[in-house]
Amino acid sequence: MIKGIVTDIQRASVHDGPGLRTTVFFKGCPLHCDWCHNPECIAFPPQILAYPEKCIGCGMCEEGCFSGAKVPCGKEMSTDEVLSQILLDKDYYGNEGGVTFSGGEPFSQPEFLSELIDKSKAEGVHCAVETSLITYHEEILKKLDLVMADLKIWDDDLHKKHTGVSNKIIKEHFIKLNTLGIPIIARTPVIPEIEQGIEEISAFLHSLENVIQYELLPYHPLGESKRVALGQPKTEFTVPSKDYMKELEHYVFVR
Amino acid sequence: MYSYAERLKALRETKIEHTLIKKEQWGYTNIDDFGTVPISPDYEVEPWYNSTNGSFYGFDGMCENFVRVINAHEPYVDPNEMLCGRWRDMLVNYRGDVHFLPEWLKKKPKTMELMKGVTSQWSKRWDEQRFPYDDLKPLQKKYNIVTGIDSDSHLTCDFTIGFELGWGGLLEKVRKYREINTDKKDFYDAEERCILAIMDFIQRHIDKIKEMIAGETNPEIKKNLETMCQACENVKYDPPKTFHEVCQWTAFRNCASRIYTRDGSGFPLDVLLYPYYERDVKAGILDDETAKFLIANLLLIDPHFYQLSGVDENDRDLTNHLSYLVLDAADSIDIACNLTVRWHENCDKNFMKKAVYYLCKNKNGWPRFCNDASLCEGYMKNEGIDKKTARERVAVGCNWMCVPGKEFPMNDVVKINIAKVLDEALKDMKEEENKSIDRLFELYEEHLKKAIEVTAAGINLHIEHQWEVTPELIMNLFMKNTIEKGLDISQCAELYTVGIDGAGLAIVADSFGAIETRIVNEKLLSWDQLYEALDDNFANERIHAMMQSAPKYCQGGTVSDAWAKRLTDSWVKAIKGQKMPEGRQLIPGWFSWARAIEYGATVGATPNGRRKGEPISHGANPVPGFRKDGAPTAQSNGIASIQCGYGNAAPLQIEFDPQIALDEKGVDVILNLIETHFKQGGTLININVLDKEKLLEAHQDPSKHPDLVVRVTGFTAYFASLSPEFRQLVVDRFLEGI
Repeated sequence: MIKGIVTDIQRASVHDGPGLRTTVFFKGCPLHCDWCHNPECIAFPPQILAYPEKCIGCGMCEEGCFSGAKVPCGKEMSTDEVLSQILLDKDYYGNEGGVTFSGGEPFSQPEFLSELIDKSKAEGVHCAVETSLITYHEEILKKLDLVMADLKIWDDDLHKKHTGVSNKIIKEHFIKLNTLGIPIIARTPVIPEIEQGIEEISAFLHSLENVIQYELLPYHPLGESKRVALGQPKTEFTVPSKDYMKELEHYVFVR
Repeated sequence: MYSYAERLKALRETKIEHTLIKKEQWGYTNIDDFGTVPISPDYEVEPWYNSTNGSFYGFDGMCENFVRVINAHEPYVDPNEMLCGRWRDMLVNYRGDVHFLPEWLKKKPKTMELMKGVTSQWSKRWDEQRFPYDDLKPLQKKYNIVTGIDSDSHLTCDFTIGFELGWGGLLEKVRKYREINTDKKDFYDAEERCILAIMDFIQRHIDKIKEMIAGETNPEIKKNLETMCQACENVKYDPPKTFHEVCQWTAFRNCASRIYTRDGSGFPLDVLLYPYYERDVKAGILDDETAKFLIANLLLIDPHFYQLSGVDENDRDLTNHLSYLVLDAADSIDIACNLTVRWHENCDKNFMKKAVYYLCKNKNGWPRFCNDASLCEGYMKNEGIDKKTARERVAVGCNWMCVPGKEFPMNDVVKINIAKVLDEALKDMKEEENKSIDRLFELYEEHLKKAIEVTAAGINLHIEHQWEVTPELIMNLFMKNTIEKGLDISQCAELYTVGIDGAGLAIVADSFGAIETRIVNEKLLSWDQLYEALDDNFANERIHAMMQSAPKYCQGGTVSDAWAKRLTDSWVKAIKGQKMPEGRQLIPGWFSWARAIEYGATVGATPNGRRKGEPISHGANPVPGFRKDGAPTAQSNGIASIQCGYGNAAPLQIEFDPQIALDEKGVDVILNLIETHFKQGGTLININVLDKEKLLEAHQDPSKHPDLVVRVTGFTAYFASLSPEFRQLVVDRFLEGI
C-alpha cells in the first residue's frame, strides 16, 4: 500500500471548501511563499516544531517529549490509515461536504494522492484539492469533484521573488485545467505589501468558464508561531484592513 | 408609541434592569434565571415552623407557608405587557437550606432567627428527625452521591387538566373528592387552601389593574389594561377560553408552582395552545402579531421548559403554524428561553432550519434539540411502556423527559460521581500486590455496585416519605389519580421510572485509557510510579504530561473511546440490574448538571493527569482540549456511542464559533450536525454560539453585558448571574471548543 507524509488531519473544517470537511495536510511543497501560513508543510521530510516555553526541563527528550515542547511534524501514513480518519465524519458531510487534500502541495505526492482519491470516491466521499497548480497531473485532476487553486501574483518576477517559482506554468495549468470541466475555485491571498495585480488576475480567471468562484483571502499571521517553532525568521507582512479588502471586493466573483 | 416592537424594547430594558438588581439581591446563583422580579424593600414573610428542626413539612406545613409566601407577593403589572403576574420568592428559602440562602434573606434577622432550629443538618428540606438515613450517609459521602432525598418538582404536570377545569373546576374537584375520601381531610384541606390562595393572588392583580386603569390617561394603555383585567377576571375561576386567557392562566399557574417548589416543567407549547390559536383566528379576535406578543410575554414571565414540534403516536409531524410563531416570539424578546425542539425525521425540515437559524442569529443558547427516536424507543425498553406512553413523554426539563401527569421520575436529581468511584477502586488496589488494569476495573465495578445500591435505598426512602415531607400540593392538581384518590403524586404515580445520572465519564474513560496506553502497552510507566504520581498530585511534570497527553475519549477510535463504551455498558448493566420494589425502575444516563466544579473538589488526582480537586468533565462531554481542532463531529461521534438507552439522556454540549454561524452555510452545517448526531442515536444537544469578545468582556465585568445568556447545561442563564468560578468554566469550555 502506498504511504505518504501527512502533517495533520483536521476534522469539521468549514474553511476548506463547501460544507463540512476533513482536511488532510500533505507535507512538502515546491513553492516557498514568504507569507505561507502552513510553513511546516513546506519541507518534505518530517521535522520537529519546538515550543521551548512548554519545556518542563525533564531532560528526557530522547525518550519522547510529552509536554508539547517538541512536536513531531510529518507522519508517514498509509492510504488506509488516512481513509479511516476521513470516514470518521462521513455521516456529517451531507451533500456538499467531504475531504479536502491540502498542504503543502498534495500533487507533490501524486501516487499517494491518487490512491486516496480512489479510495475516498469508492466510499462516496466528495473530493477536493487545494493546489498551487505548479504541477499538472491530468489523470488525477480528472477524478476530483472540485479544485481550489491559487494564483497569487500576476507579475512573474514578483511571483518568483515571493514564491520561488515562475507563474507562467501555473497560468498554463489554469488554462488546461479549465478544459477538464471540473469546477474550480480560484483564490488569491491578499498581502498588502505586494503589488499582486489582482485586477489582472481577476480578469484572467474570469475568462475561464469553469472558474465558478474567485475568492480573496486576507493574509493572517497564524503561520508565524509555527515559523518560530521551526527556527525560521518571522515575516513582516500585515493583515489587510477591512477598507483595503472592501476596495478589492469588486474583483471577486461567483458564477 | 405603543407598538408591539416598542413595548418589547421596553420590556427587554426592564429585564436587563431586573437582572442587575437581582444579582445584587440574590448574590451569584449559578442557576436558571426563573423569570423572577426583584424583591421590594419591605417584602417580608414570617414562616410558620411545624418542626423543631427549624423547617416545615407535610400538608399543613407546606400549605400554610405557601399561603404566607404567595400572600406576601404583591401584584406585578406592567402596562407594556398584555399578561401580568411574576414571582419573587419561594418556599425553599425558608426551609433551612442555609447554604443557599439569597443575600436579601440573610438581611432579615427575624426570619434568620426562626430558621436556626435545633439540629445541625446541612439542609433541612428533609425531615431527618422523622425519616433519618444515617445508615446510608457514609456510602453516599464516599461515592459523592447526589441522593435525590428531599428533591422536589422534577416531574411534569398534565396542563390540559388545568386548561379544562380552571381554578374553579379544580376547587370543585377537590371538594367533591373530599366528600368521598373522608379519611384524607388533611390532604384536601391543604389543596383547597392552595387554590384559594392562588385565586386571591389573581384577585390582587385584578384590583391593581383596576387602580391603574383609573389613573391612566393614555387611551391605548388604558385599553390594554382593560383587556388584561378582563382576561384575569375570566380565568380567576373559569377555565381559559381564548388564546390570551390560556396564556394568562399559564402565567398565574407557573407563578404559583414556582413559589411552591420552583417547578419549571412546561408542556408542548405549540401543540397544546394550537386549538386556542386556531379558534381565535377563525373568530377574528386574534392575529399572528398579537399571538407572538402574547407568547413573548409568557416566555418573559417565566422561562419554563417548553417543547416544540415532534411527532404523534403514529409518527405524524406535530409542527404547526404556532410552532413557527413561538420561535418568532422568542426571537422578538430574546431572553433566557428554555425551548426544546423535538427532532424526528418526519418533522418539518423548514421548521428545524428556522430553529437553527435563531440559535445562530441570537447566540443566546436557545433552542436546544432532543431526539424523538432514541428517547422514545429507549423508554419503551423499560417494562410496561408502550409507544403511546413513550410519545406522550415530553422534553420539558433541564436534561430530562417526563410523561405529563403520570410519571414520578426524579430525573436530574440523582447522580453518582464515577470519578469518585474510580478513586475508591484505585485506593483499594494500592494495597494489593498484583496490580493490573483488569483488577482495577473489577474493583471499580464492585464499588459502582455498592454506590448504586445505596443510591437506590435513598430513592426508595424519598419516594416512601416524600408525601409527609414535601407533598406536591400545586403539581398534584394537574396529575392523574392524585385528587381522585386523595394521595400525593409520590404515592400514586402510574410510572416510577427514576433517572440516575453518572458524572465524570470522560475522566474515568481517559484514566483507564491512559493506564492502558502508558502502563500496559508502552510500558513507559509502572504502577508504583503511577501511585506515587497520584499521591504527590503529579509533582513529576513529565509523568503529568505523559498521562495528560494519552489518547482521549472523543478523539475518535482511541483506547479511551473504547473505555467510554465499556464504562457505559457496565453502568447500564449495573443500574438495570439493581432490584427495586413496587414496580419502580431505574434509568441510566450520563449527566453532571452544573456540578463539574463541586464534584471535582472531592476527587483525588486521577490517572488521566487531572490534579486533585480540579473539576471533573462536564456531562457526557470529553475533557476540554480533547482534540487540537476541537472538532464537534468528533465530539458528536463519541457522545453518540455512549448513549445508555432506556430514555434517559447523555447530552452533547457544544460551543460554536459565531464565525461558522454567520451565513447560511453555518446554519446548514449545524443542522446537519444535529441530524447526524440524532441518526447515530444521540439524545439531546445543547449548543452555545458565543461571541468570544463579548464573552471575555462579560467575564471581566459582567455588568457590561447583562443581556448575555449562555446555555450552562440543560438550562440557560444570564452570564452576569454566574459566580466567577462558574463563568471561568464556561469561558474555558468555549475557548477549548472553538
